[in-house]
Amino acid sequence: MTQYILRRLLLMIPVAFLVSAIVFVLLRITPGDPVLVYAGEERDPVALEALRHEYGLDQPLPLQYVVWVEHAIRGDLGRSLRTRQPVTQAILERLPKTLELGVAALIISVGVALVVGTLAALRRNSPLDLIATGFTIAGVSLPNFYLGIILILVFSLAFRVLPPGGYADFVTDPVDNLKRLILPAITLATASLAINLRQVRSSLLDVLSQDYLRTARAKGLGERAVVLRHAMKNSLIPVVTIFGLQIGALLDGAIITETIYFWPGVGRLAVDSIGGRDYPVVQAIVLMSALAFMVSTLAVDILYVWLDPRISYGRRTG
Amino acid sequence: MRSARYLLAFLASFAIVLTACSQQPSGGNGCPAGASPPCTSTPPPAAGKPTYGGTITFALENDVVDFDPMRSRAFVDRNLHYQIFDSLVRIDPTGKIIPWLAESWETSSDGKQVTFKLRKDVKYHDGTAFDAASVKWNIDRYRTTQGSQRASDLAPVASVDAVDQYTARFNLKAPYSPLLATLVDRAGMMLSQKAVEAGGADFTRKPVGAGSGPFRFVEAVKDDHITLEKNPDWWGKDKDGNKLPYLEKIIVKPIVEGTVRTTNLRTGDALVANNIVGKDVESLRSDPSLVYSQGPNYGFDSIYTNRKKGAAFEDGRYARAVSMAIDRQQIADQIFYGTRTPGYGTIAPSHFAADPTFKPFEKADPAGAKALIQQIGKPLQFEMLVTAGSAQDLQVAQLIQAQLLKADIKMDIKSLEFAQILTLQDKCDYQGATLIGWSGRVDPDGNTYSHIYTGAPNNSSCYSNAQVDKLLDETRATSDEAKRKAAFRAAEQIYVVDDPARVWYLFRTTQLATAKRVQGLVPYPDGLIRFDVGWLQK
Repeated sequence: MTQYILRRLLLMIPVAFLVSAIVFVLLRITPGDPVLVYAGEERDPVALEALRHEYGLDQPLPLQYVVWVEHAIRGDLGRSLRTRQPVTQAILERLPKTLELGVAALIISVGVALVVGTLAALRRNSPLDLIATGFTIAGVSLPNFYLGIILILVFSLAFRVLPPGGYADFVTDPVDNLKRLILPAITLATASLAINLRQVRSSLLDVLSQDYLRTARAKGLGERAVVLRHAMKNSLIPVVTIFGLQIGALLDGAIITETIYFWPGVGRLAVDSIGGRDYPVVQAIVLMSALAFMVSTLAVDILYVWLDPRISYGRRTG
Repeated sequence: MRSARYLLAFLASFAIVLTACSQQPSGGNGCPAGASPPCTSTPPPAAGKPTYGGTITFALENDVVDFDPMRSRAFVDRNLHYQIFDSLVRIDPTGKIIPWLAESWETSSDGKQVTFKLRKDVKYHDGTAFDAASVKWNIDRYRTTQGSQRASDLAPVASVDAVDQYTARFNLKAPYSPLLATLVDRAGMMLSQKAVEAGGADFTRKPVGAGSGPFRFVEAVKDDHITLEKNPDWWGKDKDGNKLPYLEKIIVKPIVEGTVRTTNLRTGDALVANNIVGKDVESLRSDPSLVYSQGPNYGFDSIYTNRKKGAAFEDGRYARAVSMAIDRQQIADQIFYGTRTPGYGTIAPSHFAADPTFKPFEKADPAGAKALIQQIGKPLQFEMLVTAGSAQDLQVAQLIQAQLLKADIKMDIKSLEFAQILTLQDKCDYQGATLIGWSGRVDPDGNTYSHIYTGAPNNSSCYSNAQVDKLLDETRATSDEAKRKAAFRAAEQIYVVDDPARVWYLFRTTQLATAKRVQGLVPYPDGLIRFDVGWLQK
């Protein structure tokens, strides 16, 4: 098992290289000149040329990549073309905020999905099941940007119970921080909640119809024990797969939500940087996002072993 | 049966959402929706005596990119520059140039020397004194630093001399009448050498101690907030001789989404904003806790019609036909809800050279356009590039498309990424047309020369007209206001009507939306707020 984890971790290095090379090439072949974007209304050709030189964009492409890799290995991801802020600092400054939002959304999404999904599966076709299904359809159908603005109009403008976006530092003002977290977290959670809820419900329904549960009931076990100890754990494998993918997507899933609620996270940084061809920032974010995906799939694979003892990554001993 | 129940459940949940969003405010004051002519209003006179103290939250349409005026390229940056930095001269709300760090100035008879007498009571936020040597250092920095965005603004300056401690002389390569107007903005902003040098590569994000203006930079967290605090040692005074500024603190919040900006005003989470989406104006006007005002602005909106050889508008008469066929009032009303007004060129209504009777295409004339194209012989069909993701640009393009159809002009809309359009514009490598806005400059020169002159950087329609170039050179060489006015107007008749460089269709307005208790702020034609005179009612 330990060996398996180590091997997976080592594999991440060539994958990271590959990702960085692909992103590097993709970015440069996408039409659009970062210097022109950042020039805005000031298009003096001499100043533009000087900027291009300062950013090293007048160098041949392979050389630009080698320089970038050289610096990256030493932990220097360069400076943003647009703001001159060191890329590492720009990302580290935002990462905790995106994580806070993402984790809150995940807790809402997973928590509600597990509880409501289980109840819906147990009381199939009951009013609760119907309401849950209705919300599922609405949740999947409502785009983030629409739901976000609706929530602001209702809770911030009509009822004035929650602030309309923005971020407050958790250390200096934890209450304000949490208040500002609620709406974006719900917005972000809704779409994945719908998927998770469906998944929990159908997966559990599937397991509930299996023979071994009939056996468990025949043994005289109470319904609670049957569901929680026997059915739940087995129904979780497909569910965990989906949760795992969502953790990986946390970083970039927040893009729209962060823009609506002006939450200063990595998602917004990504959008601005891609639109503005801010090469160093995009490269760093994609790399980080790829790493997050790799780590979360590894975590899911490890979870499988706990959920289903038949799965084993060690050398088979027969 | 089961699917019917699903549908019911879905409809029920959707109904909740719909009820929530139909809650619109009713009744109210101010101008009616879609008022025409646009309802221009100034804020009510300040109520009572100004009081000191308080914090203002300012909702900005985007985060500041560069605090350093030398590197700054984005319009949005200037909203902060004007609070932190002082420039040599400024404008008053009518656009007239007024003394600021320079108390007076004098131009030599040959127009090649401009001498400024400086204020003696100015200190930068880091404690260093402002004097003529500082002026020289700043202007030289702007002129000679590699990659300086101000170098072209100051290209006509040959050198600066510190004549004595408080007298600075600009030596020009040739007479250059727009110099003063240039020094109103970033090219005239004065920074402390010590602070700039201490800031190093991070200076443009953290301009600590660098300005001499009414507010000091405290901190900036990217895309989150910027904090400024009162500079208690500022030299400015109000008309009663009281020290300015009144406000203790300004917190700037970048809110990109227009509707969310409006909501923040309405909930009181932001007290001031100066960029309001047209469709939201009515809801601000009808909100009793808010004041919305609107004034003239130097900015314009136009369509680059590619005049390069082989492009759709090589023959300038096609550009004139488009200009004739479009209905400017309809664009202003339907898409901008009166927050912009019909526009006819680069010289905005608040420029000294503006001719209020110059409205060459006031009424849409599709029949005339049709006749003109028949005269040319070949029907006009062209492609309009629109920034992908910009709903507003797409709306404008679609409306123009429909208007042109009445003149049998066929316009195809093609969406491209902003960065891509810029690259095509830069080399005039597009087939037909693209939309282009301009935030406006104090002197008509800043709105015109770089857009129209042969080979100039913002001349992305590749326009060239020798007569226009000659007239524009004239406007720079003479400082006689009457002569400049005549040359500007003669040039505008050519590049708008006789041999059009492109199609101008709107002038912008300066917007200012504040909570009622915010007092003292007035709209300036450059669109930027001066917080030094603002105060909060207790």
